[in-house]
Amino acid sequence: MDVVKVRQLVRYHAKEIGLGIVDQTRITTAASELFRNMFLYAEGGDVLMDAGIYNDHKAFIITCIDRGPGIEDIEMAMKDGYSTGDGMGYGLPGSKRLVDDFYIESTVNQGTTVRIMKWI
Amino acid sequence: MNIKNAKKRIDNIEDVLATVAAGDLEARIQSDIEDDFSGIEAAIDLLIDDLTDELKNRKKIQNELEEKLKKIQEQQKTIVQQQEDLMELSSPVTKVWDNILILPVIGTLDSQRTQIMMENLLHKIVETGCTISILDITGVPTVDTQVANHLLKTVSSARLLGAECIISGISPAIAQTIVHLGIDLSSIKTKATLQDAMIYAMKQKERVAPGHKSDLLYLDDEVE
Repeated sequence: MDVVKVRQLVRYHAKEIGLGIVDQTRITTAASELFRNMFLYAEGGDVLMDAGIYNDHKAFIITCIDRGPGIEDIEMAMKDGYSTGDGMGYGLPGSKRLVDDFYIESTVNQGTTVRIMKWI
Repeated sequence: MNIKNAKKRIDNIEDVLATVAAGDLEARIQSDIEDDFSGIEAAIDLLIDDLTDELKNRKKIQNELEEKLKKIQEQQKTIVQQQEDLMELSSPVTKVWDNILILPVIGTLDSQRTQIMMENLLHKIVETGCTISILDITGVPTVDTQVANHLLKTVSSARLLGAECIISGISPAIAQTIVHLGIDLSSIKTKATLQDAMIYAMKQKERVAPGHKSDLLYLDDEVE
């Protein structure tokens, strides 16, 4: 599946779960950034979509797992304008600003896992 | 039963098995003699029957699968063809007024599509000499950093050709998303609706028009 199809799925489920139009757009865009990263740097990966309770919040949860090269310096990767590719460098930090909870974990040469949540 | 007879029977069984192994599934032992060998012979005949059925079934399934595969390959071809067609069709650049081009973008902006879109737009700018182009993104559901980047690049390259680009059709949800992403689109003229963009472009045109017109008149004079 390509980025566009998964993104459509995210939007569909965000709508089903009861998120408003603005939140739908936010989570879809945030997820789109993560999908693109997986696609560009890790040649794809797995995406899990779920609804659940996290810290007393009902949340729409998306987890992206890849087995790509990993991120050497997560702190730098989370800074605005920093990119190792030819992107704008707003993908990860921008996606963090668009969601309510953002978790990233990466091991060099093993892969990266990013989990984002939006409260419902 | 003497040994000579037994050997003959075994040879017969071997012959039949060899024939079946070679591919002729019609061969059977079909012995009329009732003795100790009969059971084995009947069992082998039965096994050959079963094998024949199995092979027939497999052949049938294989044919079905091959047919399905062929169908899928044909569908795949159609999809690729349609995608190419769609790519061409979905980036129309139209001259709507004297000096104004409109490029309505619908769907998703990936790298390939932006490339075609940009080429079409730049080509049309040169061809028509228009100095204002409106990129309407009402039909783009998601603007992420890559899409924004593509838009910025398109606008920059149009500017190099002397054309101003206006981006219209940014929905409230997308506006908020762009701000949160941290993308700076302040270098681009943006309008909420296509109508606003048209009004702005017409006003720009009025300002440009006098010089534009006199150029034309001058040319006309020369022709006469």
